[in-house]
Amino acid sequence: MTSTVTGRSVGSETPPTGMEGGGVPPPSIPKWRRSAWPYLLSVPAVVLTAGILYPFAVGVYYTVLNYSIEHQYDAFFVGLDNFKSVLSPSSTFFVGNAAKVTIEYALAATIIETVLGVGIALLLNRATVIGRTFEKVLILPLMIAPAIAATMWKFMFNADFGVLNYILGLGRFDWLSKGFVLPSAVLVDVWIYTPFVAVLVLAGIRSLPREPFEASSVDAAGPLYMFRRLMLPLIWPYILVAVIFRFMDCLKIFDIPQVLTNGGPGTAASTLQVNAYKDLIQNGEFSRGSTYMFILWILVFITARLLVGVLGKAQRRAAGSED
Amino acid sequence: MIDERQLRAGLSRRDVLIGLGLAGAALGSAPLLSACGVGTSAPKSSSSGAAAVTGSFDWKKAKGKSIRVLRTPHAYVSSYDSLNLYKEFTDLTGIEVNVDDIPESDYFTKLTSELQGGGSAHEVFMTGAYFIWQYGPPGWMEDLTPWLKNSAATSADYDFEDIFEGLRTSTRWDFKNGSALGNGGQFAIPWGFETNVVAYNKEVFDKRGIKPAETLDNLMQLAVDLTDRSKGTYGIAFRGSKSWATIHPGFMTQFTREGAKDYTVDGGKLTPVMNSDTAVTFTKKWVEMAKTAGPTGWTSYEYPQCTQDLADGKAMMVYDADSATYPKNKGTAVAGKLGWHPGPAGPDGSYATNLWIWSLAMNSAAKEENKLAAWLFIQYCTSKEALNKAATTGNFADPVRKSVFDGAFKTSIGDKYPGYVETFEKVIASTKIQFTPQKKFFETTEDWATAVQDIYGGQDAKTRLDALAKATSDKVNA
Repeated sequence: MTSTVTGRSVGSETPPTGMEGGGVPPPSIPKWRRSAWPYLLSVPAVVLTAGILYPFAVGVYYTVLNYSIEHQYDAFFVGLDNFKSVLSPSSTFFVGNAAKVTIEYALAATIIETVLGVGIALLLNRATVIGRTFEKVLILPLMIAPAIAATMWKFMFNADFGVLNYILGLGRFDWLSKGFVLPSAVLVDVWIYTPFVAVLVLAGIRSLPREPFEASSVDAAGPLYMFRRLMLPLIWPYILVAVIFRFMDCLKIFDIPQVLTNGGPGTAASTLQVNAYKDLIQNGEFSRGSTYMFILWILVFITARLLVGVLGKAQRRAAGSED
Repeated sequence: MIDERQLRAGLSRRDVLIGLGLAGAALGSAPLLSACGVGTSAPKSSSSGAAAVTGSFDWKKAKGKSIRVLRTPHAYVSSYDSLNLYKEFTDLTGIEVNVDDIPESDYFTKLTSELQGGGSAHEVFMTGAYFIWQYGPPGWMEDLTPWLKNSAATSADYDFEDIFEGLRTSTRWDFKNGSALGNGGQFAIPWGFETNVVAYNKEVFDKRGIKPAETLDNLMQLAVDLTDRSKGTYGIAFRGSKSWATIHPGFMTQFTREGAKDYTVDGGKLTPVMNSDTAVTFTKKWVEMAKTAGPTGWTSYEYPQCTQDLADGKAMMVYDADSATYPKNKGTAVAGKLGWHPGPAGPDGSYATNLWIWSLAMNSAAKEENKLAAWLFIQYCTSKEALNKAATTGNFADPVRKSVFDGAFKTSIGDKYPGYVETFEKVIASTKIQFTPQKKFFETTEDWATAVQDIYGGQDAKTRLDALAKATSDKVNA
């Protein structure tokens, strides 16, 4: 069977429009240009890939050296010493606390943003004037650079003159104290990125077919039942995409804790990226900082693979090809 | 069989979602290690261009050259700018000066990156004396001793010895961990500096008939007495953020006066002793003072917040750099109402004071043909003539030269800054860098600030400082 793709039969001998009636044939392209063409097209991609892979490879190479400001000119191979150092709980450079803070931050921020984002998307899906207006205003936090948003929130968190304490009547509550700095940082993240989740899920909701919902409505299904049994399974892949983006982003969080408290008080907000920045940029401990980053990369890579696997499964279920 | 609808659409919804998922993963993971690609191997500068300068001294010797200076906006910088002193320098020497200003919060990150990469974009840069411990050992800073000693490159009127001794020695080091300052090369020339003392709201003190405290215990009690949270006022501000800069001003000054030390040195090995009994007792008191009479958000306080609270009439005292509180006596809510005091003496009467020195240094990677121009610029900026002019504006505190302090500065300050001169004169003889010099200064001192924050957050002082001492020992002796 011959499939019609572009309006003319596959395999037809008829010349394309424009060639009919004795039009001028296109100039012939030399063979070397034709064969070089695919390679030329791939040059930007190769350059871009090399631009990412080269520093990546350099970073990995640093992890097996003792490269630092002190050993800038006499760095030597130390094998896996850097990994032993940062992965050993008894070591001064143990990565445990930073990893714990990072994962706590990522889990809290992703869960809250997802729940809120889905809720907001459901509300915005109603075609009201408020909904349409709010839909446009909602993305404003996304347009502010996170470092600037964090600076703004730092002022609002201020115990003495911050607007939050004034509005909430909390006196001189210290939002950035040891016990509260991580929730406060998550709050800033939620403020910035919940609209991202909401917009993504809203796009998913609006792309759903109407027929199943109309059929359910005819069968007198309630809104909660329709949400649980129809909408949620169908939008689940979109939610997972939002989760993947947010979780990956949160695992490499740097700007918000850095701006709010420089990772403090103590080590309460010292994420892996904050520690890596201090070692790489401030302390000139390039190998140790690279090791932190490499461990973070492994963490992100494994998580990404797992989440993408879950996403594929959810898509197959939504398509009805898997129970 | 190919589905026609799919072919027309090009990509299915599933393809788009998989693509988005993978893009998210890629965005999340790939750039992480890209950030690791910092650092390049720069050739170590081996020689000084000073030896090539011969004959008699002449300001015009580098005429026609052009230099670029990296600065951070500060009262020292604005004093020179407002007086057009760079233009005077150009008129005197025929050397063109270009400047790049970077805000202080980003300044040292930018400078470190440039020097580490072997960059020669700037021949001269502003620096603090502690940074010699980081920038000096890898050879990023030019040793200025050969320039100072070369009469063909240095004016006979320069009089380096006129710069306060504590400042000259604090900018000289031999790069051996624990080795006393004052040995080795002169890696920067002091330009402006600050001693860490107490500034207070004299009007409130006078109204209540009280005097600044002379002992640490009295300071703690006084600070509590002056705290009235219901009115939004509190006793004393000092830095508490997670930064090495939290330790160096009031903390290190009083820490030293109380008889504590950061390290003992034995045969080149450093033993951290910031967990000694004296140090633990002091740290507990300091943290207690922050809790009972400090700002509510103490752990995020840096010097601008401290001095601004003083200026707003919220903080009754500030234990920080004199030159940072000095400008608050003009054009603020407490203008003309501030006073200065050395702060509490130690149990043995010690007024040991830690300091910060804004200095000018030469990039060792600068082109050889520009080094004389760079040295002439440093020499001019730190000369008696330029400093005298800057001091007369009343914004250049504190000048590094004794002759300028005793002359132009005292004249310009008059009696408008009660106790400022007396405080300076009381502490200057014992003012120097009180830290033990070592190459991991910034990392280990930030760790120290982190420990102080943990103690403020409720951890036991002795346990936390013991852990700090162990970790610090691992780092400095690695």
